[in-house]
Order: sequence, then C-alpha cells, then structure tokens
Amino acid sequence: MTEAIIDIENLTKYYNKFLALDDLCLKVAENDNVGLLGPNGAGKSTTLKILCGLIRSSSGTARIGGIDIARKPEQALLHIGAIIETSEFYPFLTPEEILGYLGKLRGMKGNGLNKSIKEVIHLVGLDDWLNVKIEKFSRGMKQRLALAQTLLHDPLVLILDEPALGLDPRGVVEFREIIGRVGKNKTVFFASHQLTEVAQICKQVAIIDHGRLLAYDSIAELEKKYKSLERAYLELTGGYIE
Amino acid sequence: MSEIGKLGIVTRYEFLKHLRRKRLYVILGITLIAELAVLIILPLLMDGYPENPLVMAAMLTVGPGLATIGAVFFAGDAIAGEFENKTGFILFTNPVRRTTLITGKYMASCIAVIILIVFGYAIMCISLLAIYGEIPVETAKSFGLCLLFGGSVLSVTFFFSAISKGAMGATVITLVTIMVVFGIVESVLMMAGEPYWFLLSAGGDSVTIVFGGMELIMEGLVPSGGMGGMFPFDYEPLEIDLAAYSMVGYLVIGFLLSLWISKRRQLA
Repeated sequence: MTEAIIDIENLTKYYNKFLALDDLCLKVAENDNVGLLGPNGAGKSTTLKILCGLIRSSSGTARIGGIDIARKPEQALLHIGAIIETSEFYPFLTPEEILGYLGKLRGMKGNGLNKSIKEVIHLVGLDDWLNVKIEKFSRGMKQRLALAQTLLHDPLVLILDEPALGLDPRGVVEFREIIGRVGKNKTVFFASHQLTEVAQICKQVAIIDHGRLLAYDSIAELEKKYKSLERAYLELTGGYIE
Repeated sequence: MSEIGKLGIVTRYEFLKHLRRKRLYVILGITLIAELAVLIILPLLMDGYPENPLVMAAMLTVGPGLATIGAVFFAGDAIAGEFENKTGFILFTNPVRRTTLITGKYMASCIAVIILIVFGYAIMCISLLAIYGEIPVETAKSFGLCLLFGGSVLSVTFFFSAISKGAMGATVITLVTIMVVFGIVESVLMMAGEPYWFLLSAGGDSVTIVFGGMELIMEGLVPSGGMGGMFPFDYEPLEIDLAAYSMVGYLVIGFLLSLWISKRRQLA
C-alpha cells in the first residue's frame, strides 16, 4: 500500500455511555476509492464526522495527509471536500454566493474562483439555478449543490456520507458518474447503505459494525471469499439468512 | 490566507444574510412607526410638544428596545442555527477556526444592530432639529450608551445561542432574561432602594436616563409637574457610569463565553 492519506488509529468514540467507535483502525491510500459499509448505528457517520473535525474522538487519532485533525483541524481540512448527512445551505443565498463564500474561505479568489464555480455548477447540472435563492431548491438540488461545494477547491480527499440521499434515479446515476470520474484522481471515502452504489464507485470496502472494523479488502477478494458483496456484508454484520 | 482575511469574508457574507432576510427591514419599519407615533400622538395629548427638548429626546429614544429586538433577532440563530439547521456541516468543514466564524457572525450582527440604532437616532435628531432647532448634547452620550447596550445584548444573545439546541429557544430565553427576569429584579431592587446598575436592563434604562432621569421626564409630561408621589418607596436612582461598566462586562464575558462554548460544541 502506498502512503495512507487517511489514517485512523485506535479511534474510540463514546456518546455518553454509548460506544460508537471501538478502537477503529483504518488506512486509506492516496487515490483509492473506499466504501465504508455498515448497518445503521455502525459508526460510519461518526467516523466521517471525526475526520471532518465536526466531533472529537474519545481516544485515538485521525490524520488526513499526515495532519492530526484534532490538533490542526484547519490544516487538515484544507485537503478535504465533504458531504455529511443531507446538506443544508443558507436559504437566502444563491449557489453563486454560497460557493463564492466557501471558495473565498479556502483562499480562492477572482477569475479563478468564478471559473471554478461555473465548472462545478455545470458538472452537477445546476447551470440554470446559479442565481436562484436556495430556498427554492428541492432536496435533490441541494444535494447536487453539496457535491459542487465539495469539488470546488479540487481537494485531494472526498469524504461522502450517503451523498446520493434525496436524489431521483437519474440524479443517482449522474452522481455516480461524477464521483466515478473525479474519483480517478482523488481519494474517495464513501459511506453508504447502497451496496450496488458502492460497488460501482469503489474498488475496496471497509465493513464496520458496533464501531469495529470487520473487514477491509477489495470487493473482488470479498466476492471471491463470500460469493458476493451482499453475502459478505450480511455474514459479517450478522444478518445473513440462508 | 490570514485569519483576519477570513474574518472579513465571514463578516461580509453573514451581513449579506442579514440583508437578504426581511427582519432588518421589518425592524426598521417598526422603528419608523414608533417614532412617528410619538411625534403625532404626543402633541395631540399634550396640546403641543414638551417645552424641554431633553424630555422630547427621552420620549423619542427607542434605541434600547430596538437594540434588544435587533440583537435577539439577528443573533438568536447565529450559532444555534448552524447546529439546528445543520448548515454547520457545510460551514464547519472549511479550514477556518470556529472562533473566526463566530467572531465574523458577531461582527455582522453588530453592523445590523448599529444600522438600526443609527436609524432610530437619525429620526430623533431630525425631529429635534425640526421642532426645537437644536439637538441636546446628551443625545451623543445616549447614542454611545445605546451602542454599548446593543453590543452587550448581542453578546448575551450569542451566549444563549451557543448553549441552546435551537434558534427559537435562544431567542425566547434571551428576551425573557433581559426583558422579564432582569426587569422584575430591577424593579424590586429599585423599590427596595438597593443598587441595580449591574443588571443589563439597567444599562438599557441608562440610555434614556442620561437625558435627565425620570423626574425630568415626568415634569415635562405631567402638567402639574414633578413625580407627584408616584414612587411611594425608597427610590434608588441609576448610576449611569456603573451601568456602563456593567454593560462592558456583559459584552466581553458574554462574547468570550460564546466563543469558548462554540469551539467545544460538537456537531453530532
């Protein structure tokens, strides 16, 4: 494995007495696309939120590009583009304004920023909505805008938590195509319940449950061992029915 | 980019949000109506305006109410809203210190509150000039105290916004604390002849009292003159300087607490 750009070491997280992550260890190499699978409450979102600096771990470390997210969050976040849960934006602003805001916070400016905004808006198919207030947007349109803000600064790492949530079937296909295309040159760490979606985007998956890593391998290897990704998921998470 | 540069960006876009919301314009409209009501109703009830411009200035001082309503409506959702509406998932994943984001929000809310206060005092000054041909020098002191009061209410609102789960809760708890709890405690202490300068509501009172206190206003408004035995208790007049120091305390401590709490708060 080449050097890990996402490095999770002995990560443990308690929500009061509830153990959400139990000594989780995981490394994702640069330019790998890894799916994070697990049932509800397995710890997927918790892992991604810690990687994005939204919550603190109880113990252990999470590094992005070698930078400890808990110690130097601003530096670590420079490398990340993230969609966490269903995305919400300030309803009174337009996509152009919100992307301008977030782009400037990341040091982008002038024509370069304007060009990037137009490119990502075109990529997610919101060209006609660039100057419309977000309060008029549907759930799916907000999710497209979330993808646009994720890609705006051309980050090294995409952290995506159920990114296709709320999209219509056409949107899901387009979304998958975009992630598949841009993901060739990026590290994608992608949590989802949709096994087929993960299989189409990622070559490797990490399966977790009760905050513990159960398997981390290529989809091809898991299919060889368990006959299919679905069987691997069900057997490992204890839900397999003959 | 430096944190100062980022602070400027946050302030600019947060202020743009205030401009896009209707709240600012609604409160400006309410201010105009309140001032016009005083200017129209007072001469009808009193057969003309008060002789003393200080009394009229005190009557036209809507600043404390404006500052309270403005600060609460602009800042109630500043922090709590990011968690409640989950916009924080977008904002907090950017390489910006949480303290910079909160400070930028504070500054944007400050600008909005200052606009309201300036608008209220502009109407007051124009009216005083039109009626009396002069603006009492106390107006400047009242304006300064009002700005200080606005900043301190804003800090208290930020504190409640930082500890509240929802924006509505933060808004209600701030209004209830300042207007009801502090108001009641202030009345009790005033009647008991005890000092009450340390209450934030007293800071709001200082904005009007600077024109000459309740005695002057009552003398100007009641034809028979004087307090007329209105306060059958050991009435304690407000010490304005102490009230100003108290407001500085609320401003600084409230703001620092909101920064500290926001920095530690997790977006789970």
